[in-house]
Amino acid sequence: MPILSVLIFLPLIASLVVAFSPDQFKAYFKWFTLGVTAIELAICIYLYQNFNHDVADYQFLEQLDWITLPLGNLGIGSIDYLLGVDGISMPMVLLTGIVMFVGALSSFQIEQKERGYFSLYLLLTGSVIGCFMALDMFLFYLFFEFMLLPMYFLIGIWGGPRKEYASIKFFLYTLFGSIFILIVMIALYLSVVDPVETAVRIGLINDVSEITPQIITEVQNLLKDLKIPSEQIVHTFDLRFMPDAGNFLPDSWLNILSGTQIFSFSARALAFILLMIGFGIKLPAVPVHTWLPDAHVEAPTPVSVVLAGILLKIGGYGFLRIAYPIFPEVATEYAFVIVAFGVLSIIYGAFNALAMNDLKKMIAYSSVSHMGFVLLGIGSLTSEGINGAVYQMFSHGVLSAMLFLLVGVLYDRTHDRRIDSYQGLANKMPLYTAMTAIAFFASLGLPAFSGFIGEVFTLMGGFNSPLIPRWLTAIAAFGLVLGAGYFLWTLQRIFFGKYWVRQFEGTLEDLTFREKSMLYPLAILAFVFGIFPHLIFDLTNATISELLKLF
Amino acid sequence: MQQIPDVIREIPLNYYVWFSAALFCIGIIGVLTRRNAIIIFMSVELMLNSVNLLLVAFSSYKADPAGQIFVFFIMAVAAAEVAVGLAIIVMIYRNIQTIDVGLLNKLKW
Amino acid sequence: MNAIIALSLFGISNLFLGFLNNRKILLPATLVFILIALGLNFADWNHEYYWFNNMLKTNNLSVNFVTIILLSTFLVVAISRSFGDDDEHSHPAEYYAILLFSAVGAIMMVTFENLIMLFVGLEILSVSMYVLTGSDKRSLRSNEAALKYFLMGSFATGILLFGVALVYGATSSFDIHGIAQGVAKAKEQMGGAYGPLLYSGVILIMVGLLFKISAAPFHFWTPDVYDGAPSIFTAFMSTVVKTAGVAATYRILSISFPSVYGLWGNPLVYIVCATLIIGNITAVYQQSFKRMLAYSSISHAGYLLITVLAKRPETNSSLLFYSLAYAIATITAFAVLMVVSEAQAKNGKADESFEALNGLANNNPLLAFSLTISMLSLAGIPLTAGFFGKFFVFSDAFSNPSSLFKWILVIAILMSTVGIYYYFKPIIAAYMKKGEVAKIELSPLYKFILILTTTLTILLGLAPDLVKNIF
Repeated sequence: MPILSVLIFLPLIASLVVAFSPDQFKAYFKWFTLGVTAIELAICIYLYQNFNHDVADYQFLEQLDWITLPLGNLGIGSIDYLLGVDGISMPMVLLTGIVMFVGALSSFQIEQKERGYFSLYLLLTGSVIGCFMALDMFLFYLFFEFMLLPMYFLIGIWGGPRKEYASIKFFLYTLFGSIFILIVMIALYLSVVDPVETAVRIGLINDVSEITPQIITEVQNLLKDLKIPSEQIVHTFDLRFMPDAGNFLPDSWLNILSGTQIFSFSARALAFILLMIGFGIKLPAVPVHTWLPDAHVEAPTPVSVVLAGILLKIGGYGFLRIAYPIFPEVATEYAFVIVAFGVLSIIYGAFNALAMNDLKKMIAYSSVSHMGFVLLGIGSLTSEGINGAVYQMFSHGVLSAMLFLLVGVLYDRTHDRRIDSYQGLANKMPLYTAMTAIAFFASLGLPAFSGFIGEVFTLMGGFNSPLIPRWLTAIAAFGLVLGAGYFLWTLQRIFFGKYWVRQFEGTLEDLTFREKSMLYPLAILAFVFGIFPHLIFDLTNATISELLKLF
Repeated sequence: MQQIPDVIREIPLNYYVWFSAALFCIGIIGVLTRRNAIIIFMSVELMLNSVNLLLVAFSSYKADPAGQIFVFFIMAVAAAEVAVGLAIIVMIYRNIQTIDVGLLNKLKW
Repeated sequence: MNAIIALSLFGISNLFLGFLNNRKILLPATLVFILIALGLNFADWNHEYYWFNNMLKTNNLSVNFVTIILLSTFLVVAISRSFGDDDEHSHPAEYYAILLFSAVGAIMMVTFENLIMLFVGLEILSVSMYVLTGSDKRSLRSNEAALKYFLMGSFATGILLFGVALVYGATSSFDIHGIAQGVAKAKEQMGGAYGPLLYSGVILIMVGLLFKISAAPFHFWTPDVYDGAPSIFTAFMSTVVKTAGVAATYRILSISFPSVYGLWGNPLVYIVCATLIIGNITAVYQQSFKRMLAYSSISHAGYLLITVLAKRPETNSSLLFYSLAYAIATITAFAVLMVVSEAQAKNGKADESFEALNGLANNNPLLAFSLTISMLSLAGIPLTAGFFGKFFVFSDAFSNPSSLFKWILVIAILMSTVGIYYYFKPIIAAYMKKGEVAKIELSPLYKFILILTTTLTILLGLAPDLVKNIF
């Protein structure tokens, strides 16, 4: 059974079902959505169980020809429907399953325009999960862009008072980034040749299934000597072929040997930088992070959860899936710059978080800071660093989801997110206090919680890396202290002391059953993954060692 | 009838080109500076006529009838254009009793 | 090419149909006429024929362009709703006839083999459009638009003709292939340089045609004319006229003047950049949806010209695909604009501002959805036809080795981001702003057209190779 396709198309079809079902089923939309995301989660867990830890290559591959374009004397363009997961995407797929399920639970509070909301939510689910599994760059880009639309509407229609501003800012920022990715994608597409299809075209083999490594080498040699007529060349978006320098046309822009210069910049360096900006906006890295606080503040709770929990990870995932394997030598050259931006994000995000009075903004900036660690880990180009970065993405996905849910709990009751509006909540809401404490401690990197593992490994990577100076990593480590600072200070201000809430007459209820059912599992996950980090590292290790061979 | 091209050829080709260019430029300047719709329209006609002159001159010098045929097409089509154009101008005059394009400002430029 | 003859006859018979007292028959009759013409057009597929003493030539490229033109005409006629129920002042028979005649002009502009036919086709199209622009006789805006269009249009024709005359002087031919030979010969005689006749001739021809497709800096008449003309004819102008104009420009530049690429290519670079920048930036400031669409049509002329400029073998198909995607999306947008602005009319005047769309989604989900898809397609968001249109155009620019194209690409990409901002304004208004639009009753045909264009836009976004392989 094409299980990955099911994962994508189940929510997409469900979204259509919701969009076209009559109004009298309104009350069941949320249950339907919850059911669909539960099935998704179950499939993700099934995938996780059946994932072969020792194989570095892609698994559960599905390939279909989608679009074949004749390009005249440029050859033939081929876009495939190509899905697969490897050690880098598997944790992300699992994370998507978890966060989307929790987000669906949290969406029960949505009380207006349910049809539109749940339809868009399911659409978002499908496109996000597709983004993590697409191995054709075009398909990846498609999902990458397409997820912006439901997100845009989810923020823009169900958001807070400044929703229009926030949603269009979010949209323009990420779209601006994705246009950079589009440029690189076109350049890559014109440069990269699919050796398998080309072999079929020039008659070396009769069918794709007969391919052997020898034939691929033969095609690559023919390419190098310009012996293949250009009409016979099959251009491809296939990410599996892009890391191999032999598949680049000899005179193309992005061939490593052609040394094309654009605006007195090496074309490959330029392409890498464009990708870094594109994905950096999504991550978000300072200085292109400013859309994030606005989007978070205005977004409804479940959308914040999805945004922080999954969408930010696509930036980091894009680095590892596209930018790094295709441009390894540029990545090595610019390691310092990338890590410097990572460290800047860590410190700048942390200081901002320290200064914020709005809980959601505080958490948004803590996200910026935490995603800085991902940049640090990836930039270090060490096994610890990259493994740590993937781990940090997973862990931050779980924890930021939890943090935003916790803010949502408070906001639902008082419609006030200011930190200085609360005091001594511990007396009235003991369970809530406990959950917040767990989330805060896990986020600030207390050992035995997942945040600790991610941060420690990325820092280890930074210190071990020959490419970046020690002092830079040391500054990043200082970010941990700041993190502890803002989390503990917030904890102290809100929960300790005498009970007082600004302008609120009623009594504050403790967690309801629905809230418990969202928060408890996440807390348990943070704990379990903190104690058994190999649950993730086992997945990522083989793939990342393979990736590092490119450098 | 045979002599007409010869008559035309008595004047050097360059003179025709410069003369038509001058007429054409006068037409352009008229379109750009005048404000009365009729005068603008006449300037446009002047441009078309400079084209006709040029085509006829080239046609005679090259001994190629195609240029003169083109002139007939231009004349015929210009007549159709005049019909529509004058109708539009009359329509405007009926509505606002003026044909000064400067006073037409319902639509911002 | 029998389509030309058929359409002219149909136009005349439409005028006679106007004498009947039954107006209901006009709309279906015109639609059938266009479908017949479309069928006749397909008969030319895979045949290269010269028609009317080498005046016109059909090949697969021209058949494709004619298909796009006739399809656009079909869609525009289908959403015309018989030009309202106002019996005294509307003349549906004449309007339909003129639409058919102008389609003839457009077809001549994409099949011409001789500059005489280019001129005649252009004039048929333009004169028809002057009439249609001014068809709302009691509205001063419509009058003003017609006058401006007429003066600017005939001015542009004059420039074009002077260019034609000069090129004739340099090459002694009106035949586009003859001109190409003449140009080569002239170039040889001058030792690689261009004579002043040829030089100014090519530039003037290009300027004359760029006036018609409203590329900056020759665009200033466009917003006023598009704004003032009745919406239905604006839809026609921004699709059929634009497609025909771009096709004619491409045809003459690529067939007659490929050997003097430097001569027209260099100015065109600046024109493309100016068009993209002016079209997009000015569109941002518009308060009126219709005016925004006018500026958007200017900016799309810029994208279309990129691929003309890139001069790749793929230019044919990119141009076709982009025109098709653009035409379908624009007509959808105008279809929505027309009914909404009428429903929101104040004091009998249609409200064409963005505010008119506020809260459209509440009672009219189909209209809001079609509007969204068309805006996304114009903005070039994936899974819509417009995305692939942009994708092909950018690929063409990319594969041209000249370094100028990198600058064009940079500008085009920046400007398509700007584009997203203003294309989202109607979407924001329809879904997010508070407002009330009463439920608008749509005729079955209108609904069908909206669904058809929306489906086509998405279908072409999912499987562009469906048509790209034909083009």
